[in-house]
Amino acid sequence: MRRDDDTPIPEYDADVNALFAALPRETSATDPRAADRLVTRLRHEGFFTRRRSRIGWPIGIAAAALLMALSAWGGWLAGRQGSLEEMLGRKDLTLSDRVLLLQRAGSAYVTAAESYASATARTDTTAIEVASRVLLGAAHAVARNHLDAGVAARLTNVLQPTATPSKPTIWF
Amino acid sequence: MSPTRPLSDQPDAALIAHFLDGDEGAFRALYERHTPRLRMLVQRLLGRDRHELDDVVQEVWLAASRGVHAFRGDAKFGTWLSAIGVRVAYNRLPLRSAEDSELSEDIPSPAEGSPATVIDLERAIAALPDHQRVVVVLHDVEGFTHEEIGEQLGMAIGTSKATLSRARHALRRALTEGVTNAT
Repeated sequence: MRRDDDTPIPEYDADVNALFAALPRETSATDPRAADRLVTRLRHEGFFTRRRSRIGWPIGIAAAALLMALSAWGGWLAGRQGSLEEMLGRKDLTLSDRVLLLQRAGSAYVTAAESYASATARTDTTAIEVASRVLLGAAHAVARNHLDAGVAARLTNVLQPTATPSKPTIWF
Repeated sequence: MSPTRPLSDQPDAALIAHFLDGDEGAFRALYERHTPRLRMLVQRLLGRDRHELDDVVQEVWLAASRGVHAFRGDAKFGTWLSAIGVRVAYNRLPLRSAEDSELSEDIPSPAEGSPATVIDLERAIAALPDHQRVVVVLHDVEGFTHEEIGEQLGMAIGTSKATLSRARHALRRALTEGVTNAT
């Protein structure tokens, strides 16, 4: 019995080989409507949706949240810049800046006291007590830190009663 | 900054990457580049049943699109696409009636005494029985080896050789004596 592998395969003659070589390998231009139909079909199957944009959704949301947080922090920082609280916490102020800070702090204290007084319908002894103590504390701080060039200390010495009584004088 | 290259100038690998990224233009560029050759291959494989041609070409592209993410570039994209085309077209053939399995007698032979032309050859190939035509197209037109044909069509190498032998006898008769019978 003869196997298929042993089957002799006849060769074409030169003319037929030439015809095979001359066969066209491509059809003419493609039908654009066929491409449109194919694209429509593929779109229904979920193709042609930008995968990059799908991946970008969470990234976009995170970026927006980060931008919002940075903006809020920047705004808070800008608002705080030059505020009384910020100036009070700084250690690098020049002498003129410190004078200005003292003036601003004093003005703020007076404004706060006025505001408190106007908001209080009747006389408030507690408020008077608090205000007095704050003023006294401020005066002590001025004396303690020699901000008044020693005037307060000298005044204190003058006004204080003499600690040691003078020796009695024996008159003859 | 250099301008972006037009899609028609970009290599297949770049177009495939864009297509996978959802770029319709890249797909159309691939389609326009490879469809003419695919269409001719499928047309020859189908023979006289060319009314199925558009359906088969569309089915090939659908299959290729669904599987293109697995295309690794080991072969050329056109070769990979042709392999899909062969499988899809070949799968249509067994659906035909048995009466189509013999060489048709209504194919006009070359005029008496005049040499055969390319058109005569096309007609003779189209008139071959399905399996003979497929093997002739793949081996003698597309340049596949018997091993590749056997792998593509799921047939033994010996069967491919025997089929080609019968097909060549039939073609020679058709081109020199006129079409009679291929069996």
